[in-house]
Amino acid sequence: MKPEEALGAARAAAARRDDALPPGMTIEPTERVSIEQLMEWAAIEPDPDLMRSTRRLGAPITWAKRQLVHVLRQYLRELQSQQTRFNLNVLIRLAELEDRVARLEQRERERRT
Amino acid sequence: MNVHQVLSGAGPYDAVTTQALAFRALFGAWSWGGRDVAAEIDPRIGHRIAPLRALAAGAIGSGDVLLIHYSAYAPKLRGVLELPQRKLLISHNITPARWFWDHDPQAAVVCALGRKQLPEFAAAVDVAAGVSLYNARELGSDTVIPILFDATALGAPAHEDPPGPPTILFVGRLAPHKRQDAVIRGFELYRRRHAPDARLVLVGAPINARYEAAMRALADELSPGHVTIESGLTPEQLAGRWRSAHAFLCLSEHEGFCIPLLEAFHFGVPVIARPVGGVPEVTGDAALLLNGADGDGVVAELLALAVGDAELRAVLRERGAARVAAYAPEPTARTLRATIEALAHVKLVTGGIG
Repeated sequence: MKPEEALGAARAAAARRDDALPPGMTIEPTERVSIEQLMEWAAIEPDPDLMRSTRRLGAPITWAKRQLVHVLRQYLRELQSQQTRFNLNVLIRLAELEDRVARLEQRERERRT
Repeated sequence: MNVHQVLSGAGPYDAVTTQALAFRALFGAWSWGGRDVAAEIDPRIGHRIAPLRALAAGAIGSGDVLLIHYSAYAPKLRGVLELPQRKLLISHNITPARWFWDHDPQAAVVCALGRKQLPEFAAAVDVAAGVSLYNARELGSDTVIPILFDATALGAPAHEDPPGPPTILFVGRLAPHKRQDAVIRGFELYRRRHAPDARLVLVGAPINARYEAAMRALADELSPGHVTIESGLTPEQLAGRWRSAHAFLCLSEHEGFCIPLLEAFHFGVPVIARPVGGVPEVTGDAALLLNGADGDGVVAELLALAVGDAELRAVLRERGAARVAAYAPEPTARTLRATIEALAHVKLVTGGIG
């Protein structure tokens, strides 16, 4: 078979089949982040497992970094809560503004009709 | 002549770093000097790449050329634009942030800011180029300096089809836009329909441990015992994976160039790919290109053809060899040298007039 014929042949063969895989995890791009998703992200929760060293034989360094996070946990919690407070308040304000714009647009549409 | 290379980031398994080091070897062969610096350096790279501060004013001559490899947001690079030397920017492309928001917020931020910053950089340099026409056009340029691809460094290809069960390979970072999830699904459908003993090998460093765990879980759920996910291979091990592969399946949604396509051609492995970004430009007529609407079923059937049709394999192998020849290092080296010498010449002329 010539390469130019392969895609057509594959499509025809695929059309003759009726089997499919069970639905599973599929990666999709995040085209537009919803307010709900932003709310979820706003409460920041860094995963301590992501704290690591990329150096050769980095395990002891990873261990030391995680110990440091543990020792500083009181301060880091304060930092997280201040950041989350700001994030959530900005989002709430944004959601209110979106609602307000939507209401105004609706009113304007009704006024015109 | 001195050419200093400036990278957004440098790491041991990073294609851009590999490219910069290959350029440096060429510069050395041309008796050109200069340093290679990066804004962010993975400690594993050692002393081959210096910190950005090594380019401090006074450390480089006014006639030197700066070659900026742009591949990620790096606010520290802004200072380089203010240096008086002539500048060439090569864009290695930046993945759109939409692929990372859900899986790696830090990467998403870097991509979003990088794509925003790139046009500003392109406007501030003397020549903006891309590693593919696709990349160059994103900058409004038509200057292409392709990847310096040295097939001989990869090792010799196998002379015959590999023995053993059908082995499907993908090489590329374990990242959302590379769509290893779709590769696993397409492979599994192929395995169920045509080759129950087939194997899938995914080679590439994961963006993070969580994403790797998610991909492993998907593989274990859909195709237990048939999928291998690995990274950090030596060049010899990677060559071994290529030699034992029957087909290369790339369902990536975004590629500026995609070096593994050329690696597949070098090893005579038939390629199935999505025609995104720079992919069609690199593959020419040597790959089986899917349409965006083609689902797992079509992927599975194309795999069956690519693995089982001897005539198709032979034609793809022959055309693949022609693509490797088209990207031979000599013409790329000539283009690179001519571009840099033209820049330096302009500088000399302007300097003479001024």
